[in-house]
Amino acid sequence: MTKLLLSVHVLAAVIAIGPVAVAASMFPAALRAATPDQAALRVLHRICRVYAGVGIVVPVFGLATASGLGVLGDAWLLVSIALTAAAAGVLGLLVLPRQRAVLAGVRVEPSRLAAHAGVFNLLWAVVTVLMIVRPGSMTGV
Amino acid sequence: MTVPPRALRIAAVVELVSLAVLLVNLATVHWPPLSSLIGPVHGCAYLFVVVLAFRSSSSTRVRVISWIPGLGGALATWSRVWTGGSRCPA
Repeated sequence: MTKLLLSVHVLAAVIAIGPVAVAASMFPAALRAATPDQAALRVLHRICRVYAGVGIVVPVFGLATASGLGVLGDAWLLVSIALTAAAAGVLGLLVLPRQRAVLAGVRVEPSRLAAHAGVFNLLWAVVTVLMIVRPGSMTGV
Repeated sequence: MTVPPRALRIAAVVELVSLAVLLVNLATVHWPPLSSLIGPVHGCAYLFVVVLAFRSSSSTRVRVISWIPGLGGALATWSRVWTGGSRCPA
């Protein structure tokens, strides 16, 4: 059963986090255009918003997998959980509200949006590496 | 918004049905693999309900009752407040 939970966890991470990482990075680029395409900005924001919601599956099934494997107390996992929470915070409190502000006509610096997207992507990259390397784990590759 | 969004209704049904499955399983055969699969499904549905309720309604009532474990989604869906404005359409 743990294998099924892990499969759902990884599949959800690929399907949900990938689009958010790409769309959040493309949003400031689209905004920098001489005449920003409002329809494109709306679609990019929608991708970020919808897939951020789908992304809820990732930590829930991740916790279930960790519980099944008995690794919930491991340091690499606790650090990953903290970084995931930080990434969710960046997405929910910085990236999505500022994108919404742009669509509402508020002037937001594209560089700021790009920085937030970059921090989000970096956090997820670190979490992914932690999931693969699992420092201190006896069962790693 | 006059009706709760479709996603909220689906999440509410999944929240309630998955809880029923968990409780029936617990009271009858108590098959551990079923618990470990449906448990996370229920957890996801619960979080979906809370997030969707916050996104789709500006009503404090809907937002607060969505936190109620197990029944929150159903109660939020049946709430009579679905006549007010929507802050961010889902």
